[in-house]
Amino acid sequence: MLALLRGDTAARPRFDPELAGGLRAWLEDAAYEVVATRGEHAPPVFLGAGQLLGPPAGWRDGDALSEELLLSRLVHALFRQLVNEGGFDHPLRDALDGLRASGAEPLVRHIESLAPPARSALSETVASHAATMREMVPRFAPGWMPRTSDRVAIPLAGGRVVLHGSFDLLVGLPHPGTASLCALGLSTSGPWARERRCLHYLALLETLRSGTPPFRLALLETATGRYGVEDVREEHLRAIASHLCAWLATGPHG
Amino acid sequence: MADRLTDALVAPLADVDPSSWAATLEEAKGTLAGLAVRRAGAGPFRVTGHEIRAALSSDATELAAQLPFAWSARTSRRALGLAAVRLLVAGDARSPVEAVRARLEESCHWVRDGSPCASQLDRWLAGLSPAGRAAVGAEAVTWATRLWCALDWPALGSTLTIGRDRWWDSPHSALLALRGRAEVRTDRANLVVLSGPRRESVRAELALVTLVDSLRARDGAVPGRVVGWWPDSGHLVRVEPEPAVLTLGAEAVGLVLGAAGAPVRSPA
Repeated sequence: MLALLRGDTAARPRFDPELAGGLRAWLEDAAYEVVATRGEHAPPVFLGAGQLLGPPAGWRDGDALSEELLLSRLVHALFRQLVNEGGFDHPLRDALDGLRASGAEPLVRHIESLAPPARSALSETVASHAATMREMVPRFAPGWMPRTSDRVAIPLAGGRVVLHGSFDLLVGLPHPGTASLCALGLSTSGPWARERRCLHYLALLETLRSGTPPFRLALLETATGRYGVEDVREEHLRAIASHLCAWLATGPHG
Repeated sequence: MADRLTDALVAPLADVDPSSWAATLEEAKGTLAGLAVRRAGAGPFRVTGHEIRAALSSDATELAAQLPFAWSARTSRRALGLAAVRLLVAGDARSPVEAVRARLEESCHWVRDGSPCASQLDRWLAGLSPAGRAAVGAEAVTWATRLWCALDWPALGSTLTIGRDRWWDSPHSALLALRGRAEVRTDRANLVVLSGPRRESVRAELALVTLVDSLRARDGAVPGRVVGWWPDSGHLVRVEPEPAVLTLGAEAVGLVLGAAGAPVRSPA
């Protein structure tokens, strides 16, 4: 995976410097239509991948603590530890300690209060995902500047529509005019096509933030070990921007 | 991004009319003196950018309803991230990961050795399990990497101050103090890392940095510009050192203390 992520460093793609401006103009037009419909003083619309692309498999609306969500939070906590420390000892215990230090006390208490069989089953599942990550996630040299949970929030229409998301992992140093960042996303429940589009959505947000998209996206499914790496293309960005505009025009935000 | 943000910090400052500046500064001092006297007996009050945001923003209720402070990966990331960036700027670490790790180890040493350098944050860190410390470190690495990668550091010159807040204590009341927060200070600019949504109050929040620097300057010198930067979105907001900014800052302090009747004006 490391070799696939790195690729040929001499052949980093250059993107049209007008691309980001064009995408922003397109989205701003759509966002202002939303403002015109909802009114200037309506609360902002916060639009993440969950609203845009639907929830991941198994996540239920209105149920903040579904098994899939718990698993996702635990696996992502372990992933951060793996990237920064290079490993972990006891997957469930380490993940809970990580979440506790991150201020997610209610979640930790909920997991700790599970009946022993349920907790044992969760521990086994987490261990299985952890084993996949240990095998598949490469060690990133500090010089690659790996950073986890890098949040992006792009305000449109003067902040009345906010597009937001979070990269599970970004590596690379930004270079103006050249795509030089690489993003890795984790999926604990799929479906694959949705998770791939989530990465395209994040690539669009990065384009709006820095003016240049990441050059490469990787997706790892921690349940199965399936992974894929793809270059970011203008078509991906235009397709997801088009989907966003359609959502803004017809979505349930009125 | 690196170029745009660095350019905002190193761009030459426009000339400011000294007499107009001095007159407005005296006016601001007068406003603050009045506020201090009126608050006598009301208990100590420290005005920071957070209080200005809470007083002026539409999300004031939300801000006021925040839970009591507790250390977490999120609340510690700035302190640890700044310490890491200091190590990077000094050449004592080669990457944010290495720098944050060094800072976390330092905490543990200080607490274990009973060093007087150990702060409340250090004691909290030392009490965490290795996995808990890893989560805190990961959050700080992300914070530090974003700042480290956002600037062309050599272009900022050699007189850099990383993460030193500046305080101004009212000479009229020991109970009133203002805090100017900036993550990076050069001889001509201050960089303030912002979070949360873009908001109308941000210019007043940044004006406080200018006001504090101006009040502290013994020779009445005009301070540098203040550049606010949202890492989440890449947006910048520049507040140039103009007399109107002093007025804006003093009025915002007045609103925080609930003593000003006039609405806060934006500088032209």
